[in-house]
Amino acid sequence: MDPSEVEFLAEKETVKIIPNFSLDKIFLIGGDLGPFNPGLPVDVPVWLALNLKQRQKCRVIPPDWMEVEKLEEMRDLERKEDTFTPVPSPYYMELTKLLLNHASDNIPKADKIRTLVKDIWDTRIAKLRLSADSFISQQEAHAKLDNLTLMEINTVRAFLLDSLNCMYKLRSNLQPSSSKGLIDY
Amino acid sequence: MFCEKVTELIRELQRSSDGQLPAFNEDGLRQVLQEMESLYEQNQTDVNEAKTGRSDLIPSIKLRHCCLLRNQRCITAYLYDRLLRIRALRWEYGSVLPANVRFHMCAEELQWFSQYKKSLASFMRSVGGGDGLDITQDMKPPKSLYIEVRCLKDHGEFEIDDGTVILLKKNSQHFLPRWKCEQLIRQGVLEHVVS
Amino acid sequence: MSDALSDDGSDINQDDSQEDVIMTPAELIAKLEEAWLNEKFSPELLENKSEVVECVMEQLTHMEDNLQRVKKGDAKASVHRMEIDRIRFMLSSYLRSRLQKIEKFFPHVLEREKSRGEGDPSLLSPEEFAFAKEYYANTETYLKAVALKRMPPNLQTVDMLKAVPEPCLDSFVFLRVKERQDNILVEPETDDQREYVVDLEEGSQHLMRYRTIAPLVSSGAVQLI
Repeated sequence: MDPSEVEFLAEKETVKIIPNFSLDKIFLIGGDLGPFNPGLPVDVPVWLALNLKQRQKCRVIPPDWMEVEKLEEMRDLERKEDTFTPVPSPYYMELTKLLLNHASDNIPKADKIRTLVKDIWDTRIAKLRLSADSFISQQEAHAKLDNLTLMEINTVRAFLLDSLNCMYKLRSNLQPSSSKGLIDY
Repeated sequence: MFCEKVTELIRELQRSSDGQLPAFNEDGLRQVLQEMESLYEQNQTDVNEAKTGRSDLIPSIKLRHCCLLRNQRCITAYLYDRLLRIRALRWEYGSVLPANVRFHMCAEELQWFSQYKKSLASFMRSVGGGDGLDITQDMKPPKSLYIEVRCLKDHGEFEIDDGTVILLKKNSQHFLPRWKCEQLIRQGVLEHVVS
Repeated sequence: MSDALSDDGSDINQDDSQEDVIMTPAELIAKLEEAWLNEKFSPELLENKSEVVECVMEQLTHMEDNLQRVKKGDAKASVHRMEIDRIRFMLSSYLRSRLQKIEKFFPHVLEREKSRGEGDPSLLSPEEFAFAKEYYANTETYLKAVALKRMPPNLQTVDMLKAVPEPCLDSFVFLRVKERQDNILVEPETDDQREYVVDLEEGSQHLMRYRTIAPLVSSGAVQLI
């Protein structure tokens, strides 16, 4: 899956904004939005929040978890535990990136937040690499992957699945172009 | 050595493994087909002899037959892999291929391509009833709808969806909704400023 | 604001053969997303979701028509357009995934369609079926014309079912459980391992072979991720 497609899914998450315009309720296919009143917080999908922000029509309120103290706690816990700790949002990485890239002026201590989320991400990806490695070397047939996000899975997907398929073919004594696959040389 | 020529055909494709389409190797194909013909003729002769008791010929008949099968298999692989590359070109370039690509295709490939285009077009027309859907568009998820554009020539006044009217003057830069600009970009009035 | 945009998304009455399912437009879009991801990650072609595709197309056309009638300068129009773009992308991407698999596995896809029992759900939508048949004929004609007919008499045909690789159902997939499943059998990878069973709890995520859970993808009990 292309990372831009994971980002696309992340943009469906809702975020609070404070608009500087007024507008009646909008009846979208995917549900109703608004009404919008200047100064009154309202929930919108991230794709809309970013667009309004780009056009200077709103201020974005960062999600609760996007805060230095909370993230520091998470980082420390992530480093301490061997397993994957629960994340505050299934799209924590993409949301951090999107909001910090387009609305950093609305997020206090944006730089610090960027570093913390990157630290959490790095720790988790390192754990993920270790588990993928042991999954392959132990020849496991099943793994439970709770708390992993789609973007994290996506970083190992192609490599892990291709390796597993190759090993399977070798084990079942099937060359990639065996009896089946005359055209597929 | 038997089957050497056909292996060369396969290698040719493998050398341009990035999806490029090398020129159709009519000559190579003809040579393989010639090899197949002579293998087949030799086998016909030997089979007749074997029927009269020359069972010592059977191993060489079998060997030739394996070579024939391998030649057939590799030729099909060569041709099929080229089709997959040609198919990918339809998605990359649209229904009209650049001349330098067409130049590398044989007549039958051009025919396959034109039939593929037709099948794809009628599929897209019939999707979901109504007017259909062009699925060769929207290849990437939609991104921020406003893009920065530079005006390449004077175009006059231009109204955007929220009712504002802007003046598209040569060398001016604007922040506009993407769907409003696409046509003007194609017409060469605007260019997308990539920051 | 214009009235054209204020018609609340009315329920879509979906005429299913077994039961009448009432789906809101929001549920419909969720169904499309589900189908899109499942199709993206499953090694084989899944059952077609023609009714979802048709309803989504209807919603899009309806919304586009409304937008045509909107006064210039309606601030809502751009929001609607953004949403249309997003839904259209998902729909196109879904149909592209399917078409790619149809092209990749065309002889097998057609074979399955042929051997399908009366009343079994069809793998292909009518337009996909037409496309697959044309693709088969076109490719066969091509191979004949350019090489096969010039080969010795006993080598002028190729068995497409054997020649074109089948989807590998033993591929591993990632999944999230939507409805709890007990006692799912995990087959051993090597001779010195033993098979065992796992329970798939709601909301949990797993990595396992597609073959084991393929029926759960069709039934909607798990979502590929």
